[in-house]
Amino acid sequence: MRVLGTILIFFMAFPLLFIRRNSIFQKIIIYITMTVAIFFVFIYAPTEKMQGIVQKIFYFHVSSAVTMFFAFFVVFVASIMYLWKSSDWWDAVALSAAEIGVVFCTLVLITGPIWARPIWGTWWSWDPVLTLSLVLWLIYVAYLMLRIDAHDLQRARFAAILGIVGFVDVPLILWSVEKWRTLHPKPVLIQEGGTTGLTSAMVLTFVVCLAAFTLLFFYLLRERVSIVQSQHAIEVLRHEIDEILSG
Amino acid sequence: MSGSKLFIQQVLALLAKDLKTEWRTREIFTSMFVFAVLVLVVFNFAIGADTELIRQVASGVMWVALLFATVLGLQRAGQMESEEDSLQGVLLALHDRSALFIAKMIAQMLYLLVVVVCILPLCGIWFRIDFLVCIGALWIVFALGMLGLSIVGTLFAMITLHTRAREVMLPMLFLPVSVPLTIAAVYATAQLIAGKSLGDITDYLTLMVIFDIVFFVLTLIVFDYVVED
Repeated sequence: MRVLGTILIFFMAFPLLFIRRNSIFQKIIIYITMTVAIFFVFIYAPTEKMQGIVQKIFYFHVSSAVTMFFAFFVVFVASIMYLWKSSDWWDAVALSAAEIGVVFCTLVLITGPIWARPIWGTWWSWDPVLTLSLVLWLIYVAYLMLRIDAHDLQRARFAAILGIVGFVDVPLILWSVEKWRTLHPKPVLIQEGGTTGLTSAMVLTFVVCLAAFTLLFFYLLRERVSIVQSQHAIEVLRHEIDEILSG
Repeated sequence: MSGSKLFIQQVLALLAKDLKTEWRTREIFTSMFVFAVLVLVVFNFAIGADTELIRQVASGVMWVALLFATVLGLQRAGQMESEEDSLQGVLLALHDRSALFIAKMIAQMLYLLVVVVCILPLCGIWFRIDFLVCIGALWIVFALGMLGLSIVGTLFAMITLHTRAREVMLPMLFLPVSVPLTIAAVYATAQLIAGKSLGDITDYLTLMVIFDIVFFVLTLIVFDYVVED
């Protein structure tokens, strides 16, 4: 049920990708949404009885995680489209989405332990999703390194292949880590962690926070893509200048 | 169908070429085997004072040794390829380019299987594990594991062939992506050593089979893009 909902959200948010420019309208919307989200998290949402105020980091943690998955999903689709259509724009989208995905992944890996320490008494617990985030971080950092490293001509193509392979691996990693996790000793809960049930106010806060992060993702994506395209344009111009000077 | 007959012929020809080269120099196999032994020995020094503990981690240590041996073997093979730059010629001669992938994958798998055969007795002696009891089931796990490692490894070896920091990029790409296979293989082996039967590890086996199939199909689909100019 949750998986289905997540997939549905991914597909619904996807068309936002095709708004290619950040206008002043976008900037205002982002600013407002983020401010509202912060207000919701810190003021509107009730403090959870059991976990106390630390629980609030979860809104950002889960939103970052969902945005991270969405970013890698965008890398997956953009990689396929790039291999299929050989369009520079799709390549730029893949690179940008991967970079932003790594940023959000880092946030997940930082906020996770910050939450875990007071609740579980330990910084790291090899929780399935946290472990998945760690492995994905490694894979997509390797993706970014591959882009710097490989020969120019083939760089984009190899990266596209890695983008596809990495994402296809996700369900396999998740499955294997969950299996592995059942062998792993569970962390001893110092406080009674877990949810005492989410009140509707909390659910609303989650949704608002998630919306804010998604809009932020698209905003950053568009900015980064336009930078990549400007870089391409500069390279093309440089080539032309070299041709003229040497010709 | 003459198409598939040609394909098989080309795969076998490529395979024969690689194996013959390897048989004459035995470079790849020796480096893989020696490195795996080194890993086992170092782990023994690190953990082996407690014999019960080393028995419990034996499966993990073995697979770590095999993982690093795979990376090393792929790097040596890649080095030999890029030195001669013979890849261009091979690709021109090929009717269907995925024959190259399959030949390399089978070659890598054979090297790994030979390494495993040589390592098992050593592990048995050093870790004090009787492998003969579960040897049949153990071979299935090893075969599936080697297959998966070879598929993923060959794919990334071909991708990183022309990158500058190949020694770093290959393990960086290969190890995280093969995490599911590693987990499943290690725990399947551990269960078998602990005396469980094949029936008990079916979910690990399923994971490995699915992993192998998914990555085999995926690599076949994208391989043309890998070797394209």
